[in-house]
Parts: sequence; structure tokens; C-alpha cells
Amino acid sequence: MIEVKDIKKKFGRRQVLKGVSFTANEGEITCLIGINGVGKTTILNAIMALTPVNSGEILLDGKKVTKESFEKITFIPDAITMIPQMTIAESMEFMDDYYNAWNQKRADELLKFFKLKKEEKISSLSKGNTAKVNLLLGLALDVDYVLMDEPFSGIDIFSREQIADVFTSHLIEGRGVIITTHEISDIEHLIDKVVLLDEGVVLKEFNSEEVRESEGKSVVDVMREVYKA
Amino acid sequence: MSSFLKLTNFEIGRFFKLYVVLIGITILSQLIGLVVVSNGYMDEANNAIFQENLTAQEYVNTYGEMSLLNLTRTLWFFAPIALGVIALLFNIFFVWYRDWFGKNTFIYRLLMLPTARINVYLSKATSIVLMVLGLVAIQVALLPIQGILLKWMVAKDFRLDLTPAEVVLGLRELMIILPNGFIDFLLAYGTGIMAIFIVFTAILFERSFRLKGILFGGIYIALSVGIFLSPVIVQSILNVSYLYPAELLILEIILGVCVSIASIWVANYLLTKSITV
Repeated sequence: MIEVKDIKKKFGRRQVLKGVSFTANEGEITCLIGINGVGKTTILNAIMALTPVNSGEILLDGKKVTKESFEKITFIPDAITMIPQMTIAESMEFMDDYYNAWNQKRADELLKFFKLKKEEKISSLSKGNTAKVNLLLGLALDVDYVLMDEPFSGIDIFSREQIADVFTSHLIEGRGVIITTHEISDIEHLIDKVVLLDEGVVLKEFNSEEVRESEGKSVVDVMREVYKA
Repeated sequence: MSSFLKLTNFEIGRFFKLYVVLIGITILSQLIGLVVVSNGYMDEANNAIFQENLTAQEYVNTYGEMSLLNLTRTLWFFAPIALGVIALLFNIFFVWYRDWFGKNTFIYRLLMLPTARINVYLSKATSIVLMVLGLVAIQVALLPIQGILLKWMVAKDFRLDLTPAEVVLGLRELMIILPNGFIDFLLAYGTGIMAIFIVFTAILFERSFRLKGILFGGIYIALSVGIFLSPVIVQSILNVSYLYPAELLILEIILGVCVSIASIWVANYLLTKSITV
């Protein structure tokens, strides 16, 4: 389980996070929703120890994040994390070199799934294909948790559909996923838990299935209610 | 292979094309320079002998012999060395900032590797040191080759054959690049390695605290240099020499090691606790 406990973060004079708490369980898809600048990416960066928080605590299966954690959790940012001059094959080799969790069989499967060519250079890829390679490099790791920052941002509808298909496949199954997205409609039916953020605080945290069953509301309905209020 | 070695190999690979170009420029420029300088000398000698009716011995007595020192005092020799030094100095900054500001933010990947983050720092420093030593090795290998070529191009009567060590001794600037003895090597390259650690740590201050980090980094550099040079500074302020040169050398080595270790320790703290992507 990923536990985010009362984290606060200031950038200069601006308090971006004013005490954010939530949990994300293994085998569940947790979606962080909020307008731009609300601190969604900062939360993901903080979980991966890529941004220090001013106070609060983040635990991964009850322990603080260390170098060993990166064999258990991976982060797929909205920009690709490989060198543009590298080919997809070289990027995969790089991951294989450093991660024990790298699963070559799954990487090849993802390559086929996304219809990507190994020999293509990252710099020559379209935005959609770059997002797919980014996803491939993250999902080919045998990790328990996957963090995704705006995986649908700025890409065409066909690539979006292909990426959304990943969420219903065995490639995600059993893992704990935290995703930030504006394109909620693409994956609304797949989300287990929703965390609505605004002005650095959690406005509401709810189980989408429960809300759907008990109140007959979709995630978008709840969002409208909360943000309008 | 350990992550540190793999990362070092990877960092060298990233700079390798430019490095090969630098080596190529050095070899080409110095060899062309040797031909130009040798031919120039022989043309002048032939003209003088013909016009002034001098013997070879008289020409040499009047105008001097041709040796590798004639080449090392020209831009043909020094420009590629200066280019290499500038490129590697630039690389001290580039090696970090390209990962933050490149088209793709590779720093995410580097900091998310399942290895101690200090390995990223040490591998970047090691790659720079290895590249410097590589360029120096090329220069050391070039000097005897240039000596042989000189023998082919300039007649024995006009030539002064020097060993590579004599060439280095003949030019003060070259002694920094090719130190004459282990102590000089330790001083020149030890100070260089320490400087890389100090600047790297200052860069990490900037990457951790941004604008304030520039100030912290500046203070850190001033403090480190101050500590390293403190024995020399104290002696010059008091205008007395308490220490023998050997004692001063040992003290400087100890301080250099301390400053280097402190830089690595501070960098490790920044990389694990303060760094922001």
C-alpha cells in the first residue's frame, strides 16, 4: 500500500500542498483529479523522492522510499525519460541493465501491443508513440506499483484508446496504479478510487464503484458536485 | 558489473562522439603544425644559407636549432589542447544540466534507478576524469611520434632532438597538463578532481534550491577553496613561513582529501533529501 500522510509542500511562497493524505492499494487504480497546478505531479514526484516535501510522510508498504523501492514502484512521467538519440531497443537494454525487475518477455509483448519498431529512434517518434514507449518502459518492470502522470495528455484519439486498453489488460492486473489525468472519460469505468484535489487539499476521496452503486453517480457527476460546491 | 561502472561507461558513451572529434582535432592540428613549422624553418634556413652564404652550422649558431619546442610554442599545438580543456570544463556543467533541460528529462530515469544516487554523481565525475586522462595520454603518445616525424623532415645539422620529458620541461604551461613527476601529478590532478567534486556539489545546490541554491553553491565553493588554501592564505597574511614545503604539501593533500570527501557527503545528502526534478 502507498500511504501519503499529511504532506505539505511549498514552492517559494506558494503553498502547493497543504496537507494531502490518501492511500493507494495494490490491485487498485487510484486517480488523482484536479485542475492544472493543483499539485498532482508534485505528489507523484514526492512519492518517488524526486521532490522533497516540507512535512508529512510517504510510505511504501509501510517503509520509506529508498533505492530498493525502485524495484517495487515505477513512475511514468508525462515526458519520456530516455535520451532522444537512443533507439527503443537501446532504451530497453538500458532498463534491462539496471533493473532486476525488468521483464523482457513483457517488454516484447508491449512492443507488439503498441505496434512499435525496436530500431526506431526516440527522437523520431510521434507524440503518441513516445507516450507508448514511456508506458512500455514502465510497465515492462515487474513492480507492484505504477505511477502515471497524464498518460493521455496531448496525444491522438487512437493512441489514447490503445493506452486505455492497457488498463483492461493483464499488463496492469494486480498492480497498484496511481494515475493523474484530465481525460477522465477514457478510463472512468476502470478507476477504483478517486482523489479530488483542489488548492492543495483533498476535497473528497471515494470509491467509484460504491458511489456508482449506492448513489447512481458517475465519477464525473461527483466531480461536478464537489467542484461546483 | 556494478551500477557505478555501468553508469560511468554510459556517461563516457554519451560524450564519446564529441570526444573522438576532440582527439581527431588534436592529432590533426599538431601533425599539420609540425609539417608547417618544420617546412617554415627549413625554408628560412635554405633562404638564409643561399642569400647570406652561411653554412648549416653558422645558421644554427645564429638562428637556433629546430626542435619540438618550436612546435609547442605555436597555436597549432596549443589551440587543440585549449579546445579540449574548454570542452571538458563545459562538460562539467553540461553533464548535469542536459539531463534536466534536455528534450527528454533523463534525470527522472537516473534518479529512479535502483542504485545509490551518489553513483550517478561519482560516475559523472569519473567519466570527466577519465576523458581528461585519455586526452593527456594521447598527448603523451603524440610527443615521441612528433619527434620521429621531425627527424624525417629536418636534417640532423639543423635539429635538436629532445625527449618528451625535455619538451615538457621546456614549456611551463605544458607542465600543468603533463606533470613532471608523481608529486606534481598528484597536485595538478588531485586539485582538478577536487575542483570537479566542489563544482558538482555546487550544481546540486542550485538544482535543489534553485535561485537560493546559486547563493548556497557560491558560498560552498568559496568555503571549500578557502579551506583548501587556508595554510597558504594564513602564511601569506602573517607574512611568515611556519611550514617547510614538504609539510605544506602534506597539509594541502590532507585538506584536499577532506574537501573532496565533504563534497561527496554533501552531494549524497542533496541527492537523497533535497534534489528536485
